[in-house]
Amino acid sequence: MTHPLYGTTAIAGVGLKQYKRGGSPLPERSVLVEAIVAACDEAGFDPAEIDGFVSYGDDKNEPVRLMPELGSRELRWSTQVWGGGGGGIAGAFGVAAAAILSGQASAVVIFRALVEGSSGRMSAAVMAHHLNDHLRATGMVSPAQACAVRATRLFDHHGVPRDIVEELVRASYHHGSRNPEAVSYGQTFDVEQLRQSRLIAEPFRLFDCSRENDGAGALLMVSAERARDLARPPVYLLGCAQGAEAGWGDLLENDDPDLYVTGGFRGIARRLYAETGLTPADIDVVQLYENFDAQGVMSLIDHGFCTYENATEVIRFDNLIADGGKLPINTAGGNLAQGFIHGIGLPIEAVRQLRGESANPVAGARTCLLAGGPGAPTVSSAIFANRI
Amino acid sequence: MSRADGADAPYWDGLEQGKLMLPRCNGCDRWIWPAAHRCGACGSTGVRWVERSMTATVFSWTRTWHAFGGAESLGLPFTTVLVDIDDCGIRLLGRLDDPDRIDPKLGEPLTGRIGRTQAGDDSIPTIIWSRAA
Repeated sequence: MTHPLYGTTAIAGVGLKQYKRGGSPLPERSVLVEAIVAACDEAGFDPAEIDGFVSYGDDKNEPVRLMPELGSRELRWSTQVWGGGGGGIAGAFGVAAAAILSGQASAVVIFRALVEGSSGRMSAAVMAHHLNDHLRATGMVSPAQACAVRATRLFDHHGVPRDIVEELVRASYHHGSRNPEAVSYGQTFDVEQLRQSRLIAEPFRLFDCSRENDGAGALLMVSAERARDLARPPVYLLGCAQGAEAGWGDLLENDDPDLYVTGGFRGIARRLYAETGLTPADIDVVQLYENFDAQGVMSLIDHGFCTYENATEVIRFDNLIADGGKLPINTAGGNLAQGFIHGIGLPIEAVRQLRGESANPVAGARTCLLAGGPGAPTVSSAIFANRI
Repeated sequence: MSRADGADAPYWDGLEQGKLMLPRCNGCDRWIWPAAHRCGACGSTGVRWVERSMTATVFSWTRTWHAFGGAESLGLPFTTVLVDIDDCGIRLLGRLDDPDRIDPKLGEPLTGRIGRTQAGDDSIPTIIWSRAA
């Protein structure tokens, strides 16, 4: 039997506003309103008709506060996926679809907004969600350090070569350099920039880490049937899974030894593939949340694209780029090279890629995996497609 | 929440008294960490706190070079280790004495002593690990 989520809702419009960190010309809520209106404009949809909102990562913009500026007639659904990091990003689409399919809302915006002048540094906010005296007492006060400890073990215990992350970073910059909306647009990336960048928390250097931007992103979801009557080609949600399997979570680093060096997605990926009837071989392009590059490697392993043992055969620059790679990732540049508004650029690129509007088009792409924030206690992934 | 209020309050009390105390399920004897009220494996409630020696092996580590807010008192760089406490399967985060910046090896044996970390106005007891002699 087809899963109820399969192809029954769709993204009808997207809006993205991105600025340098600290450089937004407008306060956070104003930028968010602009992104939502832009998503509606694309779809030919009246913003006043939006009746639901979903976010993730402790977004500060309670949807009811958006109503006066959007002219909302009625708010019927507002919720967020739990968790301070980007783990819930893909799950937000499942939550929005649940509202639509159960008749509790009819037009739901999935959003994330971040303007430093309004809500402070995102990395500090993410860590504040998790901080406790066990962490404070050992100086573990940032997501970078928490992810670094797991990256060390990826290399030193599982034997994945350290320079594998360079392939992923190079592919991100290759795509970003050709995307006019990306922070790295027009730049040439030399891998020496990564190798020579300053140490943050070993093994991470600055260029192993995503770096925050100001901005907001919004995606308008409606039923698949309704989306077909709107202005742009629908991008369907085929499936979505969020959560954690036993042995993974907020466990003071006491995750199951077999799960410790993962992004937390093994159970999520199993469920996602089972519910969509798809396999890793059916995925044409991946938007891969990389808070840190080593976590991106773990995420690709979790989602079944490779193993610890053969990771170097798959995670190669030539294989990760849109022009000819079998596993194109982050075709707008991703969190590293497009920009980082807590990952919201990734689903937006998934939609653009599947509509054929990407700066780095993947020929004939039908499916796109959105792999959410790796290493978060609650994680999520989703699959989108331009045909059911 | 102060250290006196959580399920792990006896752990913090133990460190204040110079001892490493860890919890074991009253029903099935499993070591439980993070500290908890109920054992999800056997369904019992209640744990007993047992003293463990401060000997462990390195599970993983990082050396921090960036001045993150909240860790100012540790100076730069400083090394954090995740250790496997001997014979109980519980992993604890701790600080490593690392004056010569020698990269820890996974599985390397360590011995601990109790020190303190200043975090803002708070002085938090913690285990500082050294390479076993």
